[in-house]
Amino acid sequence: MTMIHDKVQNTGSALAISGVSKVFNKGNDNEVVALSDVNLDVHTGEFISLIGPSGCGKSTLLRVIGDLTGFDSGTVQVSGKTPEDARKERLYGIAFQQAALFDWRSVSKNIELPLELAGWDKSARETRSAELLDMVQLSDFGTHRPWELSGGMQQRVAIARSLAVDPPLLLMDEPFGALDEMTRERMQNELLRIRLETGKTIVFVTHSIPEAVYLSDRVVVMSPRPGRITAEISVNLGDRTEITRESDNFFHSVTAVREALRLHDTSGSGVSSHRGEI
Amino acid sequence: MSSTRDRISKGTLSLLWVFAGIALIAIMWELTKVLGTLIDLPFNTSDQAMPHIWTMFAAFPLPEVRGSDTTVFEAVLAATTSSLMLALGGFVIGVTVGLLLAVVMQRFLFFERGLLPFVIASQTVPLIALAPLIVGIGNQISFGPIQWSTTYSVMFIAAYLAFFPLSIGALRGLQAPTPTSLELMRSYAATNNKVLWKLRFPASIPYLVPALKVSAAASVVGTVVAEISTGVRGGIGRLMVEYARETTSQPAKVYVAVFGAIALGLVVAAAIAAVDALMTRNFPKKGIV
Repeated sequence: MTMIHDKVQNTGSALAISGVSKVFNKGNDNEVVALSDVNLDVHTGEFISLIGPSGCGKSTLLRVIGDLTGFDSGTVQVSGKTPEDARKERLYGIAFQQAALFDWRSVSKNIELPLELAGWDKSARETRSAELLDMVQLSDFGTHRPWELSGGMQQRVAIARSLAVDPPLLLMDEPFGALDEMTRERMQNELLRIRLETGKTIVFVTHSIPEAVYLSDRVVVMSPRPGRITAEISVNLGDRTEITRESDNFFHSVTAVREALRLHDTSGSGVSSHRGEI
Repeated sequence: MSSTRDRISKGTLSLLWVFAGIALIAIMWELTKVLGTLIDLPFNTSDQAMPHIWTMFAAFPLPEVRGSDTTVFEAVLAATTSSLMLALGGFVIGVTVGLLLAVVMQRFLFFERGLLPFVIASQTVPLIALAPLIVGIGNQISFGPIQWSTTYSVMFIAAYLAFFPLSIGALRGLQAPTPTSLELMRSYAATNNKVLWKLRFPASIPYLVPALKVSAAASVVGTVVAEISTGVRGGIGRLMVEYARETTSQPAKVYVAVFGAIALGLVVAAAIAAVDALMTRNFPKKGIV
């Protein structure tokens, strides 16, 4: 499979985050600075990963972008709009670690849910869900129930659902975190293919260094207490192929990310200790 | 599909168990009578107190009272149908009220805090004490030409018992969606009403079905008890009391009324089982809750 990253045009600002801070339990004894002075710009069509140990605020940052949680200071612009307006105008799609498919709906109807809420009519919804099922290679499973599918297949449905209204931005919170390693690598290739076909801007939260490096144009390294961005590492792997993961270039990028993580690691054990990843 | 066949054979099997259970009770009944002739039991096992099963069935076609055209069976059937209608009415009212309460309590924390203790307290009032009170108050109510009748009181009491399990079950069900599902709906800019219809209600079904079962049983019990304690005529509750007074002349008669009450329970249970199968057909067969 050939991945031509250079074909994705890096023009315009998809996401502009400037001086964002967020504090949980403000004023209490258990006050936690989840985000401290976070600055991040993401170009249209760019794939960035947020990586860091638990508590570094990467999921919080994703939720701030999606207006699933508020923030205390700074500015966030999603396609030039406030997160709230962007959410209300359905300018992003989101996928979580749990596929969170609705048991009582068929696979197709799950994908059609955001379309129903956006007021699409029935025939347009059906056309769109068939199109998306085709994209995630689950055309034969439209009438199945979610619980009849494997974990990887469920996650593909969740990705299809996040793309339903064709939003320019895709937010992904460890979507492959619950999958086994083989499925995970296959899903990574799937995601890169979909990214190439759709040209979406993607913000991807992960615990895994190789995953971040393999998928991203840029890896944003975060550190806890307080949650902040400590490094940004550009990845220039070109087309992802079967040997990409074994190339020196890949290894160098993984090392660079690991060292950036270690530099700010206060616990002394490194990010990999959390999940047993490389 | 095999899952459909599994379900049917499972249904047949559970029906067999029901019949086996009934047969077992009948056998134990007769064995107790035999035992009573051999040793001294602490209770009366004479034909007067415990008629034979076949005597009970033989009482079905007897005239209800001497010279009447109606048989005991017909009278019991009519009374059972009447009670069923009252129970059904109470059930529908109870379910509606229970659902509305659950929706309000889910939507506004204020109401959950404020209402839930009263909802729970409502069930600690003894029904026997409440029934005459409701009848008494009810009899003073009239909406223009429509006069409150005691049957409404019976329905009210059935509803009073039925709303509680439903509102508690429904509240739990409406609160069942995971934070992730709710965030997903938020990301779709779904309104509260859309979240209710597209997520909370469907997600509550696995909780709603057992609550419906309990509510249905409660509405039947409520109807029968209310009929007895208010003395309202026409239902199986009152009929049982009346027939119980005739045990000296026709000891088997009261058991026909008992069969009517059992049939009432079975009809309701079967109806709920059908609703269960219909409502949960789109859910995994196990792994609920």
